[in-house]
Amino acid sequence: MAIDRETMRYLGWWLAFGVLMCLLPLVVGTGTLRILIFAHFLAMFAMSWDFLSGRTGYISFGHPFLIGIAGYTTAILSFRFDVPIYFSIPAAIVATLVGGTLFFLPALRIRGTYFALVTLAFMEILYQLTKVVAPKVTGGTRGISGLESIVTGAVNNYYLSFGIMFVIGVVLWLLIRTRLGVALSAIRMNEEAVRSTGHSTTKLKLFAFSVSAAVSGVGGAFYVHYIGSIAPRGMFEINFLFTILVAALLGGAETIIGPIMGAYFLTVLLEYLRPVMPGMERYLLYGGIALVLYVVRPEGIYSIIADAGRKVQEWRR
Amino acid sequence: MSGAAGPLLEVRDLHMTFGGIRAVQGISFQVAEGETLGLIGPNGAGKTTVFNMIMAELKPTSGEIWFGGENVTRVPTHERVKRGIARTYQVPQPFGEMSVGSNIRVGMAPDNIWKLISEGADLAAEAEIGRSVGFSDKQIDAPPSELAMGDLRRLEMARNVAVSPRLLLLDEVFAGLTLREIGQISELLVEKKRKDGLTYIIVSHDLRALAPLVDRVIVMSFGALIAEGSFDEVVKDEAVRDAYLGQ
Repeated sequence: MAIDRETMRYLGWWLAFGVLMCLLPLVVGTGTLRILIFAHFLAMFAMSWDFLSGRTGYISFGHPFLIGIAGYTTAILSFRFDVPIYFSIPAAIVATLVGGTLFFLPALRIRGTYFALVTLAFMEILYQLTKVVAPKVTGGTRGISGLESIVTGAVNNYYLSFGIMFVIGVVLWLLIRTRLGVALSAIRMNEEAVRSTGHSTTKLKLFAFSVSAAVSGVGGAFYVHYIGSIAPRGMFEINFLFTILVAALLGGAETIIGPIMGAYFLTVLLEYLRPVMPGMERYLLYGGIALVLYVVRPEGIYSIIADAGRKVQEWRR
Repeated sequence: MSGAAGPLLEVRDLHMTFGGIRAVQGISFQVAEGETLGLIGPNGAGKTTVFNMIMAELKPTSGEIWFGGENVTRVPTHERVKRGIARTYQVPQPFGEMSVGSNIRVGMAPDNIWKLISEGADLAAEAEIGRSVGFSDKQIDAPPSELAMGDLRRLEMARNVAVSPRLLLLDEVFAGLTLREIGQISELLVEKKRKDGLTYIIVSHDLRALAPLVDRVIVMSFGALIAEGSFDEVVKDEAVRDAYLGQ
């Protein structure tokens, strides 16, 4: 991959971000770290959504389906069948890739609202299946708890979750800067015109779906081992889906960096509102803030920060 | 039919039915390499439907399409493009959120995921294609929203040039253009044909602009072919005059 000067400059920012976040445990308490761990997992899910929906325009309402496949696969294998997590987690990612292919099939024929609704149906089907099919294995409505941890302690989990999120972020960000990223964006703008320039849009979409599924798989598998449990209600709840979407859109879809920003913003906002608004009313406030941001800056937080950066550069000149 | 001696494109008894509407009814014609064929007819005659079938954007109800001696009837759009067929649209369809250069980049990009990732964009080649259709360097960085209709038609040409076609289908290529822009696009078509040996099929309602470009014209009305010949012959044809003027 050709890395130009601008890419190198941005990689410098990524590095600075990485160093800063690695130093953070030295100055903040474990409570804050635990909040940030959730932000890292949300960022993985939001980036997964962004790589598929933000890029290609195939809006997915079914990402919890992919995350759920990963979560349940590793949970069942490790808890019910005593498979070591070093095998169950890769198996979960492979299972999610297969799920991603299922997810892809409707995209061969439909798009827009219809595609979004079909993906929502995928999520709902898995929700119902986990409750009624082999509840002794899936744990039924109660799910499975007591899952093995990968590492223990807030600091270790912070570094693990940040490391995974960081690597996923850099890889996806580099991918969208290639000609592949341009071709995927072109699908969002006009799929027919992409075909008429000699591209197999099926191949391009399959790649985007697979990458998105793999990222969801990684996130989902590590997430359930971090929280130690999985249950259908939490996994396939509409609020979970909306949180992923809002993080991606609020941060700035189609940018990969935006969903990370959105995930930090949302998680931190919701957690710090908890002492003053312990009930569901804080969701009302967060909904209001999201709404105002959409109206004022539909491109998201990323564009606000990017604009500010540009203005500072101009001012320095 | 096979080999280089045959026609570049041959359409054999093509039919297209939408529910109860027979949009194309048994069209057959050939285009030789290097020829410019005019495809004319009143609104709703089925001209664009024929283009859509040649590009595999529509699957014919029956009939065959041969290109370069190969039956491509079941070949998908992107594979037909690789074989050398490209098209423009009645309403230009740029990738609206990309610059002119990035639009060309999509056309130049290989249909190979690994190459798309591993090989960087050839900015010089993109600019060269842009300039070859008349864009200034400043315009190459501009988004399509800043372009006039004539420039949007150029952009479609540039994206098509990027895929190195042998046959270019031009759908209403003069629509919405000023006289000056029509002259510029005509010059561009002549120039590209001279340099790259392109073959054209041109759909146009602007017969005055079409006349100097075409070697031969076919006329469609209500989905059927009603006349074929030189431009002068078909415009004098009674059936054609009836179709256009309803006389």
